[in-house]
Amino acid sequence: MRRYLVRRILFGLAVVAIVVTSVFGLVYVAGDPAAAALGARAQPEQITAFRRKHGLDRPLHVQFGAYLGVLPCIRQYPADDPTKPRPGHGCGLLQGDLGRSYLFDEDVSTTIAARLPRTVLLGGLALVFEIAFGLVAGFVAAVRRNRFEDYAVLVSTSLAASLPTFVIGPLALFVLAFRCGFFPVGGYGTSTLDHLRHAILPALVLSIGGAASYARLFRSELVDAYRSEYIRAARARGLGERIVMRHAVRNALGPIAQLIGLSLPGLVAGAIITEKVFAWPGLGVLSVDAVVALDAPTILAVVLLGAVAVQIGNVAADVALAWLDPRVRLGSERR
Amino acid sequence: MNAVLVAAAIGLVVLGVTHIPPAPTVPRYEAANRATPRSGGTFVYYARDNIRTFDPHFAYDQLSLIGIRLLFDGLLDYDADGHLIPSLAEAMPDISEDGLTFTFRIRHGVRFHDGSELTSEDIRWSMHRLLAPATSSPAVPFYLSIVGADAYASGEATSIRGIRVVDRYAIEFTLKEADQTFLNVMAMHFAYPMKRSVVERYGNRVGIHPVGTGPFRLERWERGVEVRFQRHARHFQHNARVDRIVLIENLDATIAVARFQNGDVDLLTSMSNAHHRFFKSSRAWARNRWEEPDVMVSGLTMNCEMAPFDDVHVRRAVAYALDRRSRSRLANGRTQPAGQPIPPQLAGYDPNIPGLQQLDLVAARREMALAGHPNGLKRPIQVIVGEGDDGRQSVELLQQELTPIGIRVEGRAMSFAQYLEETGRRGRAQAFLSAWSMDFPDPSNFLDPLFHSRSIHDVNSENRSFYVNRDLDQLLDRARAERDAATRVAMYREANAIVARDAPWAFIANRMSLEVAQPYVRNYRPHPVWFADVRNLWLDLPRHRVPFAAIVTRPFARTTR
Repeated sequence: MRRYLVRRILFGLAVVAIVVTSVFGLVYVAGDPAAAALGARAQPEQITAFRRKHGLDRPLHVQFGAYLGVLPCIRQYPADDPTKPRPGHGCGLLQGDLGRSYLFDEDVSTTIAARLPRTVLLGGLALVFEIAFGLVAGFVAAVRRNRFEDYAVLVSTSLAASLPTFVIGPLALFVLAFRCGFFPVGGYGTSTLDHLRHAILPALVLSIGGAASYARLFRSELVDAYRSEYIRAARARGLGERIVMRHAVRNALGPIAQLIGLSLPGLVAGAIITEKVFAWPGLGVLSVDAVVALDAPTILAVVLLGAVAVQIGNVAADVALAWLDPRVRLGSERR
Repeated sequence: MNAVLVAAAIGLVVLGVTHIPPAPTVPRYEAANRATPRSGGTFVYYARDNIRTFDPHFAYDQLSLIGIRLLFDGLLDYDADGHLIPSLAEAMPDISEDGLTFTFRIRHGVRFHDGSELTSEDIRWSMHRLLAPATSSPAVPFYLSIVGADAYASGEATSIRGIRVVDRYAIEFTLKEADQTFLNVMAMHFAYPMKRSVVERYGNRVGIHPVGTGPFRLERWERGVEVRFQRHARHFQHNARVDRIVLIENLDATIAVARFQNGDVDLLTSMSNAHHRFFKSSRAWARNRWEEPDVMVSGLTMNCEMAPFDDVHVRRAVAYALDRRSRSRLANGRTQPAGQPIPPQLAGYDPNIPGLQQLDLVAARREMALAGHPNGLKRPIQVIVGEGDDGRQSVELLQQELTPIGIRVEGRAMSFAQYLEETGRRGRAQAFLSAWSMDFPDPSNFLDPLFHSRSIHDVNSENRSFYVNRDLDQLLDRARAERDAATRVAMYREANAIVARDAPWAFIANRMSLEVAQPYVRNYRPHPVWFADVRNLWLDLPRHRVPFAAIVTRPFARTTR
């Protein structure tokens, strides 16, 4: 298992490096952000000064080296700027520096640090709703299979899975929040409890598709488990239905755990449409703003975060599966 | 059993759907109806996007300016009618006989938010920071008429010779040539003084830790969420009444309208066409609604260095072919047809300008024939537009309008950043839709940057039509220096007609803006120069919630017209 984990982590790092390199190249060829940052009235001298300030006048390989932190810092600071890095020090990824946003004119790490918790809150709450609604609905459908409850779950999950967020989001906002007044009309709120209150409706909307997937998967896994030989054997040995169910549920949770692991990157990647519809100031909205403004450091930081989260999610899913399913654990150990 | 459950579920859904309360058509809150202004309360407003910075030397966008106007003051300001008035200066400046030297006397006892007193040295230092190469402010060109400003801005000099501190409360600016716009540029936010010790403390991050002399101080800024401003008790004017102003960031126009109708937002300045129609015609909102034309102009910019628009006849043909009245109708009356560069609110606008830029297909075909294209152009023209529905609709309209004169149109949609880069480079963009809003209320602010050959650059050109007319250049230079107001206006009127005739732009529209405030918002009206200037309003509180029944009595009724 340990060797497998090391191999997965190395593979993940390679994937992250490839993603960052490709996106850096793509953003470089997309255009010059100076005009967007300074506006239509900026003079060529200001454009030049802006490019020099952010090191955009350097060759691509120098910019990339400085971005990674293997070459000296190429951003310019006023002589008396307290945020200036010490002489000879790099200011790149390896130093933990994500760059300086052209859009906000502040360190990207500061922007990300402010946005990330909001996106995690929204994604986390949505995940909780997905799992809770999904597992309950899946369980009911499996236990009452081929009856009314099962059909109701199947129909409603099919419906939920086919409802796009850009349709259901505004509908929920205007009917449940604006017209009925059950929830705040978008936004983020001002205190911790208020943040949570504002997150409920967007999280519910965000969870609809996921909950449907969990419900259908859990139902089919549970139905398979009920039909499996070990459950039949357990029943034949006279085990009570409660204990039988516990065994079946534990077995059916394996794929669910994997799915949860694969959903984890969604916690940090940001739900662009939901955030936009509900005016939720998270990473999703930030990434759209950054792309529009060609704000390369912010785009790269969001992509980097997403890539790392995907790798962590994948590893977490594998570990969770191994923990839940002894066959996987034993299989890897035998190898 | 199952049938009962299904019937109950369907019944619940039907009951729910039929009993959804309608959107309110009247304000949800009423004012307390006090006769005299009161202090206190929190005013809530919003910005459509993220606010970038409150560094007045660097910010050049409308949203940042909302906050900068709360946090800072300038030597000069504009009154409610758009006339220049002294602000930090105790009076309008003394101007020398030759019109080159301006001496400002600063009010005594003006305090920064940190309690220190504003002196002429703060003004001098701030102007140096503004023009320093390290600041890379986009505003440098406005101030290059000050003696030595160009040498300082290019790093060749260590100070600006034309700025001299006379004493603790007086500062003198000397220009190298007469410039009637100098007072206007000194009233721009770029010239607002900052506190040196604060800038030195925060460096590049001073834009999120602003300290000015303005009527409000920054209380808290959660980037991308909201900014809270608190009243500056020691402000020299004592005009600010509300205790706190909350500026919500990145609020979509539709959500902003919903929140406004909910009473969560106090002022509405952007809305969709449907909401615009509703508020414009609603009798319930009539007392708190203002519809006024923005000081801006939009049009189709044609690159005079690229074929076929290097031929004035083709440009005129396009200008004749656009149906501006139909466009205005299509925009639900949110625009007014325009046929000249200077907007109606500014001196130099000519309501009787000959019909050079209005729909006349006969004249358009005649111009095409004069250009040697009686049967139209062989190749389609490429028009750059913004992304989204508006851009697509603009291309469709142009296709419809230019087909009758034999010009086929291909649209190229791109992001705003790409648009700026592409249209500002020489020889890159054949034609594109553009708009220009004023920086200060003077006709030079439309004619100089857009049509003077001095404004042409190879990269990020201001004059994006690359139009060159030496006679116009000379006329604009003379007008800029002319001290006699009537002569100056006549000059701009002449320049206005030249541009309309040569048609580097086919002018299309002046936009109308609609603003709506809650009934308890008092002493607010749209400012002729500043966008959403909320410094001096007061709130008629406590507000009273309108009974729910009054809001929902007519769920299916149309709004009053």
